[in-house]
Amino acid sequence: MVGATAPVAQRRPWIRPAQRRYLTFLLLVAPIVILRLYTAAYPIARTAYLSLTNSSLLSGTSELIGLENYRALADDVALVGAVRFTLVFVLGSTLLQLVIGLLVALLLNAKFRGRGFARSINLIPWAIPPIVAAYAFRWLLDDQFGLIPHWINVVFGQRLAPLSSPFLAQLSLILVNVWKNAPFMAVVFLAGLQSVPEDLYEAAKVDGASGFQRFWAITLPMIVPLLIAQGMFFIVWQLAAFDLIFGLTNGGPGVATVTLSLRIFQEGLLFFKYGVASAVSMVLMALVAVVGLLGLIWFRRREVVL
Amino acid sequence: MITPRSRPRRSPDQAAPWGLYALVALFAVIVLIPFYWMLKSALSRPDDVFAVPPQYLTPPTLENFGRLAEQVPIVRYFANSIVFATATTLVTLAASFLAAYAIARFDVPGRNVLLLALVISTALPEIVTIIPLYQVLRDLHLLDSLLGLTFIMSSVLAPFTVWVLVAFIRQVPYEIEEAAVIDGARLPEIIWRIVLPMTAPALATMAVINFVNAWNNLLYPLAFSSSVQSKTLSVAITEIFQARSPFGRPWELISSLGITMMIPVVILAVISQRAIVRGLTTGAFK
Repeated sequence: MVGATAPVAQRRPWIRPAQRRYLTFLLLVAPIVILRLYTAAYPIARTAYLSLTNSSLLSGTSELIGLENYRALADDVALVGAVRFTLVFVLGSTLLQLVIGLLVALLLNAKFRGRGFARSINLIPWAIPPIVAAYAFRWLLDDQFGLIPHWINVVFGQRLAPLSSPFLAQLSLILVNVWKNAPFMAVVFLAGLQSVPEDLYEAAKVDGASGFQRFWAITLPMIVPLLIAQGMFFIVWQLAAFDLIFGLTNGGPGVATVTLSLRIFQEGLLFFKYGVASAVSMVLMALVAVVGLLGLIWFRRREVVL
Repeated sequence: MITPRSRPRRSPDQAAPWGLYALVALFAVIVLIPFYWMLKSALSRPDDVFAVPPQYLTPPTLENFGRLAEQVPIVRYFANSIVFATATTLVTLAASFLAAYAIARFDVPGRNVLLLALVISTALPEIVTIIPLYQVLRDLHLLDSLLGLTFIMSSVLAPFTVWVLVAFIRQVPYEIEEAAVIDGARLPEIIWRIVLPMTAPALATMAVINFVNAWNNLLYPLAFSSSVQSKTLSVAITEIFQARSPFGRPWELISSLGITMMIPVVILAVISQRAIVRGLTTGAFK
């Protein structure tokens, strides 16, 4: 450690306490800083560079071609579709997750027997691997043997093949994503609900406010900041969703459920077109940056501290 | 706890308990259905798995797990997943703990900028760096190795861990460490003997969350692993999914593997429910 190198009996130590303190600080944060520089900062710079090349494993090329990849992407109908579906997927999912997460939190905050059990199983969707959740639902939605089409048939007398229709596949993907991640929202909202002072409700009860009025006048205003913060966080985070889409629809039918992340996977890891994949990566990062910045600005305005 | 009491007053909360229980039941069914369906498919003979209409309860058998083991080296993949998730958890915690201590306790310029940079970097999508990371690992001769996967995954999980730990350490009173400094304790001693035990609850929480995240990770082993050396269960399930069977896809095998992957994390989630909730909510309440 630094302490061992500092000579004790010297009139003018070669290193002053403030400097030594700073060195110790640097030493402690060094592992993580090196990790992040090596596996995040450098790769981003490298992706930015690759996006300006025609780097491709199969054609063996790797020359700078300027903005050619971006120009090609601008004319790419499929990419526009991917951007559009990414936004639909993320916004649709987040909106439903907010509503359902709040409803589940309210349910888990009510008093009933077996509440501890209900709170435990609420963590299951959060805990299981996304790829397993994707396959489980792909199996449940199977055209021939799936349980969900069978139930729909029993109730509505209609045989559906959810993953073979573009619209139903998109809807299924959003609903499965809501199933997977709304419980996480519910956990956070439940903690928020528990932090609302009990006497506020008591006072409202004395004043004769109904359950709904109490929710509207007390609960909701108290947790709106939490709702917005979580919504922002989920939007940024889910822009990068990959496993669930890869497992449930893999972009199909056709290209109906291709998102930017899936497109990067296809270009980069299936077709080995590193240049194109990197350009799409830059588009995704730009999207994340714009949404994230809007979120940060909002946070600053509300003076929410990180 | 159930305590005997007089008939509850009829307030809107208690007017319709059966309605509440109906909602709870609906919630439980929706949450558990994929788990139940995979479990049932994993434990049924193929004829029962592909029955039309679907069968809800079939005579249980373990033969699917035997057939799964014939098709893929399942024990090896399971071991790889355990090693990867455990090593990632340990590396992440060690690096994050030191950094979090420094950020929380050293009043030096730049520490908040560092924390902000780390937090912002959590927004970075995994997929956008996958090609350069492939080259990084290749240059380090760490492709197709659990060490390489651990290296990358620890880096991904560390920023959120630092964030949670900084928030935790800042709540711990500084006086004890101050007293130790006056008594002449050196920094490693203070960190090891005082700060580490006090941070233990937060470290335990982040250990569970990081283990679950690493266990569940698909993208890195999918991109960087090419042999039994480093393939994990998540890669194995995508490979079983590609296999063909007389009924289309081998759903009885996919389900067997799916259940194998779910059980460790579900057990972990249920037994450490409180710790996880504490960790997940730290981010939300600064």
